[in-house]
Amino acid sequence: MMFRVLATLALIASPVVAAVANSVAVVSDMFVEKTVAQPGAKPKVVLVKQKSGPPGTTLVFTHSYRNGGKAPAANFAMTNPIPSGVDYVGSDDAIAVVSVDGGKLFGPLAVAKVRAADGTLRAARPEDVTHVRWTLKAPIPVGGTGKFSFKGVVK
Amino acid sequence: MTNKIKLLGVSSTIAIAALSAAPAFAAGTAAGSTISNTATVAYSVGGTPQTGVSSNAAVFTVDRKITLTMTEPGNATTQVAPGSNNQVTTFFVTNTSNAPLDLGLSVAQSAAAHAGTDNFDVVTPTIWINTGPSVASATYDPANSVQVAYLDEIAADASRYVFVLANVPAGQVNNDVSGVALTAQAREPGVAATQGAVVAQTVGANTAGVDTVFADAAGATDAVTDGRISARDDYTVLAATLTVTKSSLIISDPINLLVNPKMIPGATVEYCIVVANAAGGGTAQAPAISDLVPTQTTYVPSSIVINGTGTCTGGAAGGSFTPTPAPTVTGTLNDVAAGASSSLRFRVTIN
Repeated sequence: MMFRVLATLALIASPVVAAVANSVAVVSDMFVEKTVAQPGAKPKVVLVKQKSGPPGTTLVFTHSYRNGGKAPAANFAMTNPIPSGVDYVGSDDAIAVVSVDGGKLFGPLAVAKVRAADGTLRAARPEDVTHVRWTLKAPIPVGGTGKFSFKGVVK
Repeated sequence: MTNKIKLLGVSSTIAIAALSAAPAFAAGTAAGSTISNTATVAYSVGGTPQTGVSSNAAVFTVDRKITLTMTEPGNATTQVAPGSNNQVTTFFVTNTSNAPLDLGLSVAQSAAAHAGTDNFDVVTPTIWINTGPSVASATYDPANSVQVAYLDEIAADASRYVFVLANVPAGQVNNDVSGVALTAQAREPGVAATQGAVVAQTVGANTAGVDTVFADAAGATDAVTDGRISARDDYTVLAATLTVTKSSLIISDPINLLVNPKMIPGATVEYCIVVANAAGGGTAQAPAISDLVPTQTTYVPSSIVINGTGTCTGGAAGGSFTPTPAPTVTGTLNDVAAGASSSLRFRVTIN
């Protein structure tokens, strides 16, 4: 929706350049993860569309992509800088890799190291993550869609 | 195409600028901060890298989370004497919320905070904070303090020492205990030097704007998530129990001089007044002694010795003599701790 508004604005701003639209579009969303007590059963975790919450709120960030172009999109890489005010928690996507150095190097969190204040190297923790990236090996076919997500907590 | 990318690029720049302005406190990101998330995508078509795409910004507003802490620094009772005024108990309040607050203050009688059982009420407890040069001091400063009903505009993570002053009834005895409880309640900030309205929690569904959530723990006398915090402190009466003993010693007489002097006219006699403070009580502060010079005797000028031992030795010259209306010796001793003794002595000659 937002994307469409922006696209319209762009067209108004420059109606002559109407040639090729970007073939891959991404729609981002944000949900609050809530634990709902279930009488006589385990509490259920649900995602709620909520526009505000206090520190400590668990957020699920989603990105839905679609190749709306006329050719497959190869070498697809989506990068998400962790917004300030949020600590990265993790991603359920197996292909997600993270950066703890501001987006220079990416890899699994398990092998990432950061330099502590005293100069020593220590294993990176989720809150050290500065960027998360998803890379697809196979090209996205025409009309292909998919969704990535990661979880964070409001600092 | 190029223009669209540019526009998207601009929107993400704004988002980042807004984000970096969100300060994080111990209690979390400041209330009202915006969390804005955007991803960028790179890909290629037919081996040609395409211009990157940014997603829309998913936006989230940080709500106001109200939490407060209060401690009783030192965690010890305040020892007081019966009849003493403006006795101080100390509390330490921290606004651990992610937003500034006014903090309404109230003091109430309560159960004991430490040893013993509350069995009396201190009189007219009032609430004070230090000001000026003593504003950060943990010790009440009578010269730089002001009585308050609330703490004004306490920033997120900021703390204040709060002092409760109260009077102790004269009739209390050793080990009587009076507890006091201080409660701080979250109030709306915004207007300096004015106590704001009580903060209300947002009821009903979450709104897109800044909601208020109570996340405070239960204090000594308040409930969990009630926008209040409280702590207890107490006063314990510790009176000094003084015993005063007066003795006399013949120093010399005109006939025998210093050897086995007798109580005859012209003889010099030393009177000694011993103040003994019983063990287990409070310190006797600056006990003042006043003693009539016996009739038929004459005070020996400059013979007063104060702060002597319990056996009438040592000490230093001091005190004063008043000849009229009745010849009287007076002197003020140093503080006498529990279990200790001190003395004043002076000499007279027998008429």
